[in-house]
This record gives sequence, C-alpha cells and structure tokens, in this order.
Amino acid sequence: MQLQQIAKVIRSKNAGPCLVTFDLIFTNVADFELARQQLAHLKREVALRYGRSEENVSVIDFAPALAVKITIPRDVVSGDIGDRDVYGAQQHAPLLDIELSETGR
Amino acid sequence: MSASERLIESFARERRPLRILGASGQLGYGIPTPALEEGLRRSPDMIGCDMGSIDIGPHYLGSGEMAPTRVGAKRDLRKVLNAARRHDIPLIIGSAGSAGAKPHLDQTLSMIREIAAADGLKFKLAYVPADIPRDVVKRAVRAGKTLPMDTMPALTEQDVDEAENLVGQMGLEAFRRALETGADVVVTGRACDTGIFASIPAMLGFPLGLATHMAKIVECASLCCVPGGRDTILAVLDDEGFDLESMSSQRAATPTSVAAHSLYEQADPYDIREPAGHTDLRAVTYRALDERRTRVTGAVFVPAERQTLKLEGASRVGFRALLLAGAADPNFIAQHETIFAGVQRVVRDLVCEDTAEDYNLSFRVYGIDGVRAWSDQTAVLPREVLVMGECIAPTLERAEEVVRTTKQYLLHYGYEGRVSTAGNLAFPFTPPEVTIGAAYRFNVFHLMQVEDMAELFPVVTETF
Repeated sequence: MQLQQIAKVIRSKNAGPCLVTFDLIFTNVADFELARQQLAHLKREVALRYGRSEENVSVIDFAPALAVKITIPRDVVSGDIGDRDVYGAQQHAPLLDIELSETGR
Repeated sequence: MSASERLIESFARERRPLRILGASGQLGYGIPTPALEEGLRRSPDMIGCDMGSIDIGPHYLGSGEMAPTRVGAKRDLRKVLNAARRHDIPLIIGSAGSAGAKPHLDQTLSMIREIAAADGLKFKLAYVPADIPRDVVKRAVRAGKTLPMDTMPALTEQDVDEAENLVGQMGLEAFRRALETGADVVVTGRACDTGIFASIPAMLGFPLGLATHMAKIVECASLCCVPGGRDTILAVLDDEGFDLESMSSQRAATPTSVAAHSLYEQADPYDIREPAGHTDLRAVTYRALDERRTRVTGAVFVPAERQTLKLEGASRVGFRALLLAGAADPNFIAQHETIFAGVQRVVRDLVCEDTAEDYNLSFRVYGIDGVRAWSDQTAVLPREVLVMGECIAPTLERAEEVVRTTKQYLLHYGYEGRVSTAGNLAFPFTPPEVTIGAAYRFNVFHLMQVEDMAELFPVVTETF
C-alpha cells in the first residue's frame, strides 16, 4: 500500500531556512499505527529518495495528531542562489508512492 | 491609567481566566472583519498580531521592504488599532514589517502615526527595535559565543559586516519591559511569536508553559482549525489550561486539528524554543469541549541554563535578472541540457571579451526540473515547457546584459535535428527579460549567548 492511499495529509514546508519538514497525517489510529511500526523503513526510503544519509533524516511520531514528522536538511538554504522552492512547500512529491507493508494490520 | 495597567490592577483585585484574541498571523494580508468583530464581542483582555516570519525568504530582511503592500498593512493596522482603543485593551504586534529590522519597524511606526493622527486615537506606544549592534555580535564571534543553527557554517566577523540587516529574535522579557512602561500598544522588531501572546499572561502569573503553548497556536489565528484560515481566534487561559475557539463559525478547533498545528513549520512537534528556555509538549492533552472548541493542558516550561538569542541576517549576493520563455519543440525539449550548455558558452564568449566571467547564469525548465532537482529522468517528456533563465551578477546592468544576450542566442541556437529554424522560444510577452533587482541570501542564522537581553532590546515610548 502506498503512503498516498492512507495519509490524508502529505506536506512539506521549511522548518527554518536550513531544513525542510514533512508531515504525514493519518485519518485513524490504525493507519497511524501501521506507519508508526515502519518508521525505520520510512527513514530509509526518505534518505534514498532525497539523497540524504540516514543520520540526516529525523523521524518523529506524534500521536496527538496521528502524524509522523520527517525532517531533512534542504539542498540549498531557503532563497539562496540555486534554490527552487523558497517555502519548501512542494518537496513532498517523492513521498507519495512509498510502499508501506500491511502485515501486522 | 493605560490598558495594560488596568488589566494588571483588575487581576490584582480578582484572578480570573484571561481572554486573548489572535487577530492575525500575517498582518497586512487582510483581517476578515466578521470574525474580528465577533472576537471583540467576547470581551477580550488583549489583542495580539504577528506581522513577520523568516519563512518568506531573505529578500525582505536584506532589502528592508515589507512583504505585504503598505496599503494592505495600513488597512490591517487601522482595524486592530481602532479595535484595541475602542475597547481600551492592550494591542501587541511582533516582528513589525515582515522581517522586523529597523526599516521594517520604521515603516510600521510611520503607518501607526498616520492612523493615530487621522483617526484621532489617544494612546501610549512602546516600541522595541530588534537590530543587534555589529560590534556586539563580532565580540561574541571572537569569544566563541555564537553557534550555527542547523546546517549553517560557523559565523564569521565578515558575515556580520556583510549582513544588510542583522536582527535578534527578542523573547517575553522584551515585551514585558515594553508593557511595564504603561503602554497601550506595543510594537516590536523581530520577535519570537510567543512573546506577542505570552507576555501578558506571564506578567499576570499564568504558568509559562501553558502561556507559550497557547501563544504558539494563536499567533497563526485560526490556522489550527478545520478548515484552517486567517480568521481571528479566541484563547481563554486559566491556571490549568486554555480553551481555543475560532471567531468564524465555519472553523472548528478540534483536538486533532489543534495538535496537528504543533507540526507546522517546526522540526520538533514536542518543543517550543524561547531565549529563556523551552516548552515541553510531551504531556499535553487535547480535549473537545464541543464541536468547535478544544481545551489544551499539560505544557511545561523548562528554563534554560544560559540565555541564547537567535540572530538573523541577510547579505546581498548580487543583482538578479530573468528570461522567461516557453518551448514546445520535442527535439528542443529533449536536448535542453546540451542546448543550455552551448548557449552558456556562446554568451560567455560574447559578454566576457574584455571582462571576467563575473556572473552566474542558470536555467530551470518548468515541466522537468523547475521545482526539484530530481535525481531520476522523467520517462515521458512534457509537450510544453517554461524555460526560466536566471542571472545573478555584480550589477543590475550586467545581469540585464547577460539575460538579453542569452535571449537572443537561445532563440536562434542551432541544435541537432532542428526543424524550427525561425526561433526556439515562445515569448509570452515583451520584453521577455525581467529585472528583479538586488538578490539576497541568509548569511546569519545563528545562536548567540547573551548575558543581558535588556541591554540589546531598549524600549522607546511615544504618546499620541
């Protein structure tokens, strides 16, 4: 199952000018728990898809909002020469088709 | 007696819940009147507005310009100033003029003076500049008392000199000193969002953790609701927690929508940073009071051992000019990388005959790599693309020279298999070259250890 099939929000935005942060927000506890069991897999996939080492990918589960937050360093500091997305609001697309395993559901 | 003194005296007589209105998360982009008026009917004790952010990029801090128009900013300022004076309650505005440096604060103060005169408003204003003297920062650099944020390199004295504007994010402490002058209206330069809304609760003795958590939410107005929006929000704070309610009946503050707001533009949803400490959200609970209101409890403030100030600075990297053009030839689109490399060479040979290659010329192809530097090739090329050529050069004239030359040679560049020999580009308008002006980058985003915050953020008062 792909992330875009179960998350109601998959968004990106700057967290300060040096970082971009992704929020995955789920509609129910079961879907959130499914993602929560696969945080290591999410970290690996994000590292791969964004060309980062795993130690540069932070993954935090946030149960009050049924959310998983992932933060990585930006390619270029916001607004610097060569930046393509000053707010970082359109960097989420590579996340959409990350496969999550349904075993354990 | 001023609005803030009256509030303090009323709380000295009898403690009660404090009613806080978050009127706008981005003053200058419009405050919907119905929700603001509804908020004013709820007998608020104070109105707060955030006016700035670092998320809008380095241009505003570098150039001294505001992000919204002056007309928009003045219209919003007039609304909240009149509302606060009509109800005789404190008005607190943080990060004046988008980036909160001297030119931004000056523009905001000039609008406030114009409104006060035109509308015959009487009040005491306290304002707090956020510009940090360069010699103070350089001393800290030399003493090893600065620390880079995130991926920034270590701060140098040269960075400090090169920053067009250099500000520090003041915290609660500065707002508190401004209020203690007996001000009705407080306007600050660059500030932590939390200072705007947590300073009065702190003065009245409400728990700091709850106050900063509440502040962090209401500084974005009704963004924490479903659907999120810019309507005014009301927070009612007591000693155990706070209740949130959007002043637009269309928007609901639900436990999950409010919790999700802790994620917004933050790397850590469990943590709110302030110069004097941080607020830990690990034990927070969100409970629905009804369909549109949520009660929040459990945030705890943890004082820092050492006060740190977040510094922000932007330096000029040159001047920017663009070329905007479309293309629809499949051969051109397929070969765009080779074509651009060829054009870059042709342009360099022409404009650098008697000068150094002193500029940076790059291309983005919207449809292929405009938004991201994708690591993989697209399987199917788009039918049309937008080509954006960008030049950054030491002067505006030089940047214009480069993009105008680029336009001519990209238009007529011969590539393998070319059939459209009359021109490679579709110009959407004329001229297709766009002059942007100075280009900036964030060159300071660092923490600085500070012993005495009050010394860095002097309060100035003015009576109308």
